[in-house]
Amino acid sequence: MLALFTQPIDAARMIAVPKIDWLAIGPPVVLFTAALAIVLLASLLRGRSLQHDLDDWVVLCAFAGPIEFWLGRFSAIRYNHDVFSIIVMLAGIGSVAFAMGVSIVRKHTFAASLVIALAGVISAVAITVAQWNVVRTSGSFTSMAGAVAVDGMAVFVMGVVLVATVFGLLLGTSWIRREQLEGPEFLALLLLCATGMLVMASANDLIVVFVALEVFSIALYVMTAFDRHRIESQEAGLKYFLLGAFSSAIFLYGVALTYGATGSTNLVTIRESLTGLVGGDNGLLMVGFALMLVGLGFKVAAAPFHMWTPDVYQGAPTPVTAFMAGATKVAAFGALLRIFVGSFDLLQTDWRPAVYGLAIVSMIVGSVAAIVQTDVKRMLAYSSIAHAGYVLIGVQVATESNGGLGGTSAALFYLGIYMLMAVGAFAVIQVVGRARETDSSLDDYKGLARKEPVLAGLLTLFLLAQAGVPLTAGFVAKLTVFKAAVDAGQFQIALIGMLSATVAAFVYLRIVLSMYSGDEHGSATPVEGNRLTVDLPVRITISLTAALVLLFGVVPGWLLDVAEHATSILAG
Amino acid sequence: MTPLLGAVKITTEYYLAVGALMFTIGAVGLLIRRNTLIMFMCVELMLNAVNLTFVAFAKRLNDAHGQAIVFFTLVVAAAEVAVGLAIIVAIFRRRQGVTADDVDLLKG
Amino acid sequence: MLGAQLLVAENAFFYVIAAVMAYGAIRVVTTNNIVHAALYLVVVLAGGAAQYLLLGQEFVAWVQVIVYIGAVIVLFLFGIMLTRAPMKAEEKLTNDLRGAALIPTGLLAAILATLCLDAFSDKTVDLVSPIRTKAVTSAIFRGYLVPFEVVGVLLLGALIGAVVLARRD
Repeated sequence: MLALFTQPIDAARMIAVPKIDWLAIGPPVVLFTAALAIVLLASLLRGRSLQHDLDDWVVLCAFAGPIEFWLGRFSAIRYNHDVFSIIVMLAGIGSVAFAMGVSIVRKHTFAASLVIALAGVISAVAITVAQWNVVRTSGSFTSMAGAVAVDGMAVFVMGVVLVATVFGLLLGTSWIRREQLEGPEFLALLLLCATGMLVMASANDLIVVFVALEVFSIALYVMTAFDRHRIESQEAGLKYFLLGAFSSAIFLYGVALTYGATGSTNLVTIRESLTGLVGGDNGLLMVGFALMLVGLGFKVAAAPFHMWTPDVYQGAPTPVTAFMAGATKVAAFGALLRIFVGSFDLLQTDWRPAVYGLAIVSMIVGSVAAIVQTDVKRMLAYSSIAHAGYVLIGVQVATESNGGLGGTSAALFYLGIYMLMAVGAFAVIQVVGRARETDSSLDDYKGLARKEPVLAGLLTLFLLAQAGVPLTAGFVAKLTVFKAAVDAGQFQIALIGMLSATVAAFVYLRIVLSMYSGDEHGSATPVEGNRLTVDLPVRITISLTAALVLLFGVVPGWLLDVAEHATSILAG
Repeated sequence: MTPLLGAVKITTEYYLAVGALMFTIGAVGLLIRRNTLIMFMCVELMLNAVNLTFVAFAKRLNDAHGQAIVFFTLVVAAAEVAVGLAIIVAIFRRRQGVTADDVDLLKG
Repeated sequence: MLGAQLLVAENAFFYVIAAVMAYGAIRVVTTNNIVHAALYLVVVLAGGAAQYLLLGQEFVAWVQVIVYIGAVIVLFLFGIMLTRAPMKAEEKLTNDLRGAALIPTGLLAAILATLCLDAFSDKTVDLVSPIRTKAVTSAIFRGYLVPFEVVGVLLLGALIGAVVLARRD
């Protein structure tokens, strides 16, 4: 038996694990570590039985410091005086500081979790910036046995997701305080969700895409159902869960068929093997990527796979809706671009018509169905479907043979801007919704402009931006997408896009008119009563997003530049 | 006996066909059933069908990666079951019943 | 001679298992008793494990038995008990979405048609050389190291989520 342990390990029998490339996997690792720290903090400081142990421990630590110090003084005679006494003193000070820290943190577990979460996101942003510099100077690269790709698109998508995560954390903080729910768990789930999205942004393997998709989907199901006080939230969670699991299974079946047809799940390898397959029609591959398109179509909420969107956007807690609209779309579109534009671009004649059709149906369904809604969250849910349609225009022209890479950069730019507009609008809706989110119907917005002129003005700004009014970022975003389509000679889809934007503008104007209309008829609305409370996190979110929407509307050059440099997709 | 059964060689396509059949049965079930637990079992049927497809392809390509994927699918399925049942139990506490009539999946 | 007999045995087993799986799957979808549905799901999963064995993939087959039949089904039964779902037959367990169900049926037709038109049909399943577990291990820890790690994140998320949602207060 002992021989088993003493035997030298045969090097030839060991598995050569790929070298860990910390730069490439840094952002998700940092976020995951932060989530883990929050979970540990919350569970250690909240457990009822642990509470007493911890009290004892804190007292022990507090006493241990001085005792150690004196012990150190005595024993220092025999040991190296300087080093030993310094170590003991540091240990003493450390344990006192730890004891004080624990007692402070236990009183403010949520604040401490928020600090950890924000620190995690900021470190992840720093690593992302480092990656951007590496990609700009020495080009894209893959690592971890080809499963992770670091390229312009990955870094751009990660950046947008991280910014959305900051906003999600801020909005979530305000909401958690208002509704008195488990804060640290919510923050940890949000971070895990963002971790999945970051992995997805740089996933260079279909299995990594699938697993990452599941990570953020499962976190989103839970966050959607997080509000214990409202049965709508839990029903929305159930609906999202069932349809999400359905779409994941469809996506995975597509991966299976693609694997069968090409012999690999690695996107670069798939692309290489496609060169031999072009010309002959390969049924497996066709069905495979059709199923993957359906699966991702569910996630980006493109019609006709949008049936979950209105209920889930309406039922989910508003900060979750904001995060879902901002970040999920970006991450899923990142995977869509990488798989279809990056890996399958040789088969573009096969998939382009499908994406073209999805774009048109999404724009029309999203704009027209929003008209008949009476709930503001539901209206914005339908408008998010239309926005997915505009991004899809960019995706389907994003192949090298026509119009260059204009499509990719237009789609990425649109996604970045949409994140800002959606987060801003939902932040205002969160405030107006009040406790238990009771007020989100169009009637509740009557007379808002008189009671809360600043909030109403800012919501108007976000809605006008979503409608694509000039001098807002939304206008520039729509312009770049339509320009990419026209450059590629696709006048019809640009025309349909403009028409649907006109129809959608009517929807946004309905909300704006409702806010500025007289309040004689909506007599007893709660808006008439006490003022709305806008706390600091929400204030920061709304003012930042509003400033950025205006800034990129007037001087879009910088972000457009970044988006243009972000078009490098490694497999492409 | 021998000519009857030995006449047709079983190729990978047979396994793929079984997988496709199971996947479709699962998808149909998810859409026509209204009990959430059974809908949920239908998702498991679909994932299981995908696993069979992966293993069949792995066999034909003589590639171990297809089998490795099965493990990831298993973990994903287990995680989905845990979260899904938690949601169902949470709803049940509020409303004493999981027949979920008002969770219309296809209501726009 | 041995090869021919093996072939016959394989064919016979394949058809029997496939038929059992199909029957089980259809019963999961059509039965009016939730507990029966869970038990029919066991039949389908066991059939899957048997198919893996037939394909010479023993490790996956036993993992399927242990994880799926051992854990997932038990979770389902717990779910049935916790929600006190009726153990007896119920009338209205299907809804009126039969029209929508035609879409996936059409999908099946498309998939099967493409599979039949597929070009690889000449290669029979090789029973003699199974893929060794060592190769599977190597695939997981070499090529699929990243998904393996990410699956850990997934499990943590599911754990937190399940605890938060199911907590009684």
